[in-house]
Amino acid sequence: MTVIQTDNIVYYYEGASKPSMDGVSITIKKGVKTVILGSNGAGKSTLFYHFNGVVKPKSGTVKVMGKPVSYRKKDLRELRSKVAVVLQNPDDQIFGQTVEGDVGYGPRNMKLPEEEVKERVDEALFQTGLGEFREKNTMQLSYGQRKRLALAGALAMKPEVLIMDEPTAGLDPQMALELMELAEQLHHNGTTIVISTHDVDLAYAWADEIHVLKRGKLIYSGTSEGFYRDSAAVHSTGVMQPSMFVMNENLARMRESDPAPYPRTESQLISKMASGPKGGLEIVLVDGELGDSVHAALKGGRKTGVFGTVVRRLVSDSEKKADYMFNGFEACAGECLMGRDSVLLCDRDCLDLVKAKIEDLKAFGTDISYNVNG
Amino acid sequence: MSEEMQMDTLAYSSRMLKWAPLGKFLFVIAVLIVNIVTNSMMVPFVTLAIGLVLMAYSTNFKIPFFVALALAEAVLILAIGCGMISITGDKADPAIWDTNLLWFDVYMTHDSFNKAWLVMFRGIAGMAVMMSFATSTPIPHLSQALKQVHMPREVSELVVLIYRYGFFLLERLDAMWEAAHCRMGFNGFMNTMKTTASITVGIFTSSSNLADKAQIALDCRNYQGYFPIYNAPPKLGIKWILVTVAAVALIYVFGIYTEGWIDMTKLFFGGSA
Amino acid sequence: MKECIFETENLVYSYSTKQAKPSLDNVSVEIHKGVRTAILGANGAGKSTLFYHFNGIFKPVSGTVKYMGKPLEYTREALTELRNDISVVVQNPDEQIFSATVEEDIAFGPMNMGMERDEIERRIQESLFKVGMEEYRERPTIQLSYGQRKRVALAGALAISPKVLILDEPTAGLDPQMSQEVIELVEQLCEAGTTVIISTHDVDLAYAWAEEIHVLIHGDLVYSGEPEPFFDDHEKVAMTGLVMPHTFSVNSSVQRICGREVAPYPRTNSQILCKMLPEGSRIGKIRLVPVEDSLPDVPAEGLPTGIYGAITRRLFRAAGREPDYHFNAIEYCLMDAVGGKDSVLFCDAPMKDRVLEVIGRMEAFGKKVEVVM
Repeated sequence: MTVIQTDNIVYYYEGASKPSMDGVSITIKKGVKTVILGSNGAGKSTLFYHFNGVVKPKSGTVKVMGKPVSYRKKDLRELRSKVAVVLQNPDDQIFGQTVEGDVGYGPRNMKLPEEEVKERVDEALFQTGLGEFREKNTMQLSYGQRKRLALAGALAMKPEVLIMDEPTAGLDPQMALELMELAEQLHHNGTTIVISTHDVDLAYAWADEIHVLKRGKLIYSGTSEGFYRDSAAVHSTGVMQPSMFVMNENLARMRESDPAPYPRTESQLISKMASGPKGGLEIVLVDGELGDSVHAALKGGRKTGVFGTVVRRLVSDSEKKADYMFNGFEACAGECLMGRDSVLLCDRDCLDLVKAKIEDLKAFGTDISYNVNG
Repeated sequence: MSEEMQMDTLAYSSRMLKWAPLGKFLFVIAVLIVNIVTNSMMVPFVTLAIGLVLMAYSTNFKIPFFVALALAEAVLILAIGCGMISITGDKADPAIWDTNLLWFDVYMTHDSFNKAWLVMFRGIAGMAVMMSFATSTPIPHLSQALKQVHMPREVSELVVLIYRYGFFLLERLDAMWEAAHCRMGFNGFMNTMKTTASITVGIFTSSSNLADKAQIALDCRNYQGYFPIYNAPPKLGIKWILVTVAAVALIYVFGIYTEGWIDMTKLFFGGSA
Repeated sequence: MKECIFETENLVYSYSTKQAKPSLDNVSVEIHKGVRTAILGANGAGKSTLFYHFNGIFKPVSGTVKYMGKPLEYTREALTELRNDISVVVQNPDEQIFSATVEEDIAFGPMNMGMERDEIERRIQESLFKVGMEEYRERPTIQLSYGQRKRVALAGALAISPKVLILDEPTAGLDPQMSQEVIELVEQLCEAGTTVIISTHDVDLAYAWAEEIHVLIHGDLVYSGEPEPFFDDHEKVAMTGLVMPHTFSVNSSVQRICGREVAPYPRTNSQILCKMLPEGSRIGKIRLVPVEDSLPDVPAEGLPTGIYGAITRRLFRAAGREPDYHFNAIEYCLMDAVGGKDSVLFCDAPMKDRVLEVIGRMEAFGKKVEVVM
């Protein structure tokens, strides 16, 4: 299903002689992890401001959920609750004095009843792990916390499409992983996530489909590999081939084998490079609290990883931490590849996601045997 | 691109960028004054011609849309003003047109009609000359010029810093404005008020943050307490004074010689006056 | 014995007296002259607080800072002299650009040092060339894009010909190609004898580049030395908010699965692949063409061509020649070599030794890549 579709949109910034959006026709599909790729100034932000009606095209049409965008005040209000944007610099979109106040800013502007505002604020704060900071002044937060606050503010709008501009820029590696995991979970639960970035490694790991912009023109739409194979096009866009892609291409050349299937994650790449006896994976499902099986797993000799927002909160509050608080699935898969058993503590709603990841690994020659507990 | 930015881009791309700012300033002011002190209807045309030639040379008449709009508005206001001048003639003179229109007592005379046109022409010509200066002189050049006339260094440095950070904060303002739209910050009067307040606070905080960090960065670059200038714009030379004096003298003489050549009343109402 | 360029002893610093824990807590660190150094740590770990002690912006609450063996003096004259040797490029260029035009901004440092006009002119041209911004010389700084501003800030720092260059997150916010260009420039400076210190939380960048790392967490220095022992300590890495670099973890896993020694540690993809090559594989040759001030007439013979260095890049552009590898070319050529393919690499003549050194490293990973001059 198509979520957003633009048809030949053209846009000029005032006083500019060249269009900053030059006949762009793009289709964003539901349930497809999408990345808009391009160098600085390629028009990425201009494009996504078209998606939520902040910018109106000089010509061409934008359709959201099949309906042409109407620029009447009332309709725009509805549109912007459907399509939320998280900007790169969190300071540009923090409007409240306190954390709580800022997260509630959007819902209050939507004139929702106060109880619902509260509910949404609670949920968004929980998802982003900012619960303990709710009464803090926004100025006292660290950069990483402010970045999560900006995301919480967007989540509180309960959008159907969430556009994130350079979501990991400026974040510490662990925090970046946590954020991408949250994005994955949101996506899994039905929010369409669109990421705008020039970070090719991030884009390659995440995207099912990429759209590449160059000086206001859309020059490519499709799978990542299709674009990165064309090195002239890659060069002209100001980006580079992702390190994982280059590695795999050369590995295939060295072995004189087919580069497909293309690994996107470290565990997939390692599976292709070496194989040995595999360890087993125990998946322990977590709902609202840490059960005995979780405590047993944390105390046991096997390495433990966490996956999902809820379980991370719970485990970080508990006495005994997991070995891999970030990137839990990848870490556990890595353990299995090295022939060691491991335990993945996982939010219940992420089970299918984890199963799909295990399934994906099969194509690379790794069949992890797992059992689900709980 | 913000309007300020367009103006700045234009000034920096001007062919007259390298001309002495003080020279340009002196010339423009002198021409404006002579434009006002002479009574010939021909002088505003000469002034206008000078302004247009300069603008053509400087930027090929590229004027940002918003400036053109502002100019059009100014002309409109000027026209209304001149209209008023034309119908409030001296009652001692014979009237060309004498009537009561709504609550206006219209009394147009030969002199008042001519005077109105003169003011109108002077105004338009003046704007053209001033625009030629404004679109060819970026603010930092102006501040350098101030230094040359022994304005305290602090003042001109402040001008440059405000100019630099002004643009930076404008960028922030734009970004916050759009972000507020994304979160429906302008939905209703109260929300708009709240949003505007938050943006103001945000800009203020970021400007003070920037000032703190810039202080450190200044020290890192071995700031010695003043901003040195590598390529100061050219000083006001004798050339400029000569050109200005010559232009003023010529226009003035021309003004006296051509006084009364054009009579707008005759043109409009024939020989009746 | 490596010579220390900076040395701190029990350095303590707090921004305010109310702080529960000082921003730098008893930090004793040695930064070695001519050694590629990275200061690693999460946001707020104290990286910038530390390097601002090196150029005397911050004065320690207790402890000492030494530059070239001499304790810092905090008089105006001494600080001026110190900062003539040390350039800092902060992460956000807007904090650091003060002038209205590019040229003025680059002249700022040299003018503060009271240099002669001719010398300043030379410095402006040279630094603009290095960052590839010559045609922007007279442009107003506010009209530049973020990447261009970042390059102007770098040029401004280079203009004083510093002995030490400290870069805070030099590639943050830059396009991938521009990042590569900056890294190339950094290599060039190192080769010319400048000590470069990079402060970052980008572990992949740090691992690929640094010979020595210093890791901070909440104001404590938790590690100093070669990168490998640090990244091998999973718990310590997890504590610092960082992660293992990709090359490091791929190599560790693959070697463990195969039951082989993890060392020697590859820092690049080509080195990983080299380790995996079966015995008797053909290794491609690299034809190295040093470039002085004109492009030597070397027929490419249909081989893939790479370019490395600012001069080569400029000459290729001027000649309208399109190389196959515009950026990160040494790595691409090495990949070709590992894959059994020959390639041609044009590089700036002063960088020849460096290129040979990088190519020579492949031997440690099992295969020698032959270079034809």
